[in-house]
Amino acid sequence: MQKGLVSVFRLALVCLVVFASFGGIAARLVHLQVFERDELVSEVERARKRVRILHARRGEIRDSNGNLLAVSRPVVQVGVDPHSVRVEDEPMLPHLAELLGLPVEKVVEAFNRKTVTSSDGRRVRQVRWVKLADGVSEETYEDIMLLGIKGVYGNRQYRRTYPGGSLAAHIIGYINRENTAVMGVERYMDFYLRGQDGWREQERDGRGGELAQFRGREILPRDGYHVVLSIDSVVQHYVEAELRRIVDKFDPVGATIIVSDPKTGYILALANHPTFDLNSYNTADIASQRNRAITDIYEPGSTFKIVAASAALDLGLVNPQTTFDCSLEAVSRRGRLQRLPGDTHHYESLTVAEIVAKSSNRGAAHLGILLGENRLYQYARAFGFGQETGFAFGGEVAGILHPVDKWDGLTITRLPMGHAVGVTPMQIHSAMAAIANDGVLMRPQVSRRIIDRDGNIVAEFQPIERRRVVSRETAREMAHLLMGVCAPGGTAPKAAIPGFEVAGKTGTTQKIIDGRYSRSHHVGSFIGFFPASDPRLVISVIIDDARLSGTAYGSTVAAPSFKAIGEKLIQYLGISPVAAPPVGSLAGGPDNFSLNRDRIR
Amino acid sequence: MRFFAAGCRANPQRRPTRPHRSTPRLHNTGELHTFRGVAANVSDFRLPIFNWVQRKTHGRIDPINPICILLLCAIGVFFIYSAQVYTGRTQWMQQIVWIGLGAVVYTAVSLIDYKIVLKYSHWLWTLAMLGLIAVLIPGIGATRFGATRWIDLGFFSFQPSETGKLGALVMAASILARSKVGTVRDSLLTLAKLALATGLPMLFIMFQPDLGSALVIPPMVFSLLYASNLSKRFFASVFLAFAVVVGVVAFDVYRYSKFMTDNNLSFMDDRGAYEKHSWIPYLKDYQRNRILSFVAPYKVDRDVSWNLRQSLITVGSGGLTGKGWAQGTQARLGYLPRAVAHNDFIFSVLAEETGFLGSVTVIGLFGVLLANGIRIAAKARDRFGTLLALGVTIVFAVHVFINIGMTIGLAPITGLPLPFLSYGGSFLLSCCMLQGLVQSVYRFRRDF
Repeated sequence: MQKGLVSVFRLALVCLVVFASFGGIAARLVHLQVFERDELVSEVERARKRVRILHARRGEIRDSNGNLLAVSRPVVQVGVDPHSVRVEDEPMLPHLAELLGLPVEKVVEAFNRKTVTSSDGRRVRQVRWVKLADGVSEETYEDIMLLGIKGVYGNRQYRRTYPGGSLAAHIIGYINRENTAVMGVERYMDFYLRGQDGWREQERDGRGGELAQFRGREILPRDGYHVVLSIDSVVQHYVEAELRRIVDKFDPVGATIIVSDPKTGYILALANHPTFDLNSYNTADIASQRNRAITDIYEPGSTFKIVAASAALDLGLVNPQTTFDCSLEAVSRRGRLQRLPGDTHHYESLTVAEIVAKSSNRGAAHLGILLGENRLYQYARAFGFGQETGFAFGGEVAGILHPVDKWDGLTITRLPMGHAVGVTPMQIHSAMAAIANDGVLMRPQVSRRIIDRDGNIVAEFQPIERRRVVSRETAREMAHLLMGVCAPGGTAPKAAIPGFEVAGKTGTTQKIIDGRYSRSHHVGSFIGFFPASDPRLVISVIIDDARLSGTAYGSTVAAPSFKAIGEKLIQYLGISPVAAPPVGSLAGGPDNFSLNRDRIR
Repeated sequence: MRFFAAGCRANPQRRPTRPHRSTPRLHNTGELHTFRGVAANVSDFRLPIFNWVQRKTHGRIDPINPICILLLCAIGVFFIYSAQVYTGRTQWMQQIVWIGLGAVVYTAVSLIDYKIVLKYSHWLWTLAMLGLIAVLIPGIGATRFGATRWIDLGFFSFQPSETGKLGALVMAASILARSKVGTVRDSLLTLAKLALATGLPMLFIMFQPDLGSALVIPPMVFSLLYASNLSKRFFASVFLAFAVVVGVVAFDVYRYSKFMTDNNLSFMDDRGAYEKHSWIPYLKDYQRNRILSFVAPYKVDRDVSWNLRQSLITVGSGGLTGKGWAQGTQARLGYLPRAVAHNDFIFSVLAEETGFLGSVTVIGLFGVLLANGIRIAAKARDRFGTLLALGVTIVFAVHVFINIGMTIGLAPITGLPLPFLSYGGSFLLSCCMLQGLVQSVYRFRRDF
């Protein structure tokens, strides 16, 4: 046993080393807890506190019968927490991949992505959530949960889907990936549809999970309202089927069909060609997304003749039996010779009724000259040309209707036949609807009402009268004259529907190609309504540049479609022929009317 | 030191006033110069072991260490509770049971004269080695978290590395106490024995693998050697060799890091790519990774980096006075990993909730405990007592420094727990046993 050989000095030195290391710890603690505290505390708060948006469910868009046109379905975004996965779940991964429709490698990769490094490469953050798939249905999600893979779970979201696909695409519109409403009802009614997002202040634990007991303030989301449209899916189907038939047959550049109720202005169907599928809006080109019915203008041609004719009747300048000499190539006006446009056929003298029925350009020019510039312009404005219809979608254009001081010498004879004017399909449709509606111009509308989740009505969109354009009598008289168009001897007997008084007007214009009127490119249209004495429907068919041998007259390309749609809608809507006209209401007299009816039969 | 020694000398005179109940004068320690002598004296009529158990020896008892230990244990219970308050686990209750058992062990060990430890040090060492070997035998050792460190005894899991440390310490102190140590040339045999006695347990512990526990042994051995007056030249050369090795390894790891970065290789996935370019072919890339992960954790192991970052945030966000008991968000919300918050990272929990003042209080308690250990070492007039007390103190110092150091980024993250505070029965009992030895040294020391 050795003793007394332990050096006290050396012991003290060991002691010193021990205490020096303790001093180092204390110094480091001062540094961390006193000097770096604020930065570290803020890092704690940043990692923990989070305001989470609680998404409101967007309202549905329904048609007039309650069918869904746009709906936000709850779907599940499935992801994985790579730090919770267990090795023994590995055999399940191929099943998971199959359910999600992903290649197995992608799933395995997601399971192994445990950390991300910040851009400067100095901070490493653990990844607690790797997204595997979006928009997984509830059923698939249940199957995935049955696999029992630890760490795989989903967040519920809403995905906007359009059950009709391309049905009424231009009316409904869509919301894009950033949840911005881009067009159509989605955009115009966004205020009602989107609802009010809520939010929740919450704290997260180290795994990123929410801590319910530390939940802060919370505002619950308020779901959006449903919008009920005046669109009828069935009518829209008929219209789109007819449109496809037109496309198959004539391969036009564009085409528009509008069906509306003349008395209220509610649109029952509106379809354009080309169109697109709302569910894959991101692959559709911009041209096909355009609602041509309100964004594109064309020269209306003969359909515009209703303006001059009804103006002249309304002012009492003519009656249906007033005749005009349509053999003249020019007339003397204000001391100058005014050239008149030609017709395809040679006519001697025509009554106003015949001018309308046969669509005489020269007759229309006579009416224009009779009216004079100012009155013609005022009536054109009154019918809604040169101004927006108020159809509530973005992108509507006012069309072109020059004020009188900008007119050239030919305008007075060209405007009555629908040249030197640019209109949208919706404008000419509204103008025709005004005649069908006893002379009152209605605002075209597509939304009927807003309802909440329980079906209570939040807001109703009543029919809106824009103005009276012509007197009731004039309108009826005009309707009567337009019936002549569809009668034998008129321009569009192909539009006639047996048993029904069909009134309408054809239009055929040469397109301006390279600054000149083309002889091979036409816009053919037919705009009409029925039953003429108590109109239920106004239907416009406008076909831009139908390809066929010969001229694409409105009577050839558009009128048959009008008839086809009309016949289907008569059945579907249960429209009955009007038995007898209101006595004495027609300027043409009962004889004339019954004559027409007899002819139709 | 002289003052203490002088004060103690009065004790033999007081002793007659406190007679022992059954064995009046048989173990008058003042007259026992060798342990053999004692054994011979008592073997006539009673088992020798009882001669070494004395409840009232010299009437002296060190109150400082038990008070520090009790305070630390109490603090430990509070913060184990706090670390688990959100998860609903209640291991603080079990810890109280362990503390009770620990108190029994501490009292028992401090009642035994430490000189019996010297006498049976070979047997103690052999037993410890058997435990270390047994745990490596498949079927006996229980493997958790990829390391085989436990022997499952049913009611509790025993860690042979704890007794291994104890065995190495006792053996080292015993060898040094029995041998003359001076110049290196004179002490070669002693050094060889010492290397065997401490190197073997270290090796076995490293096999488990438990690098942290194994690395506790070298500082302990070197401090014992230093206190034994081994020549300065030995320490100078050891230090130089150490510095050279550290320098070479550091440069190699630096080259490794640069090589991997320049070639755009992943530290985790492309291990082995650097090995043929290295000057030290024995060092494997995964080992380089470990070294590197201490210096630049974000480069290598993301999990370790996350723990360290969160621990720094936890400690730092405590500030001067802390967030209040059981109010620490980092630990409660699981930013500080829940698996380690109540044991290896208990100091982070404490630092977050009590701030700088609380942390310094705990460090102060450890300081008092260790300083008192060195005081007791200095008081003992026999080398074995001194070396035993010093060795225990160094083992504790390493544990405290490494553990607290890793929570504040001063030391690499290893699984070394914090004595008395961390949850864990095996380790707490081992700590109580070691501190009981120190108390025993205080009580049974020779005064001159």
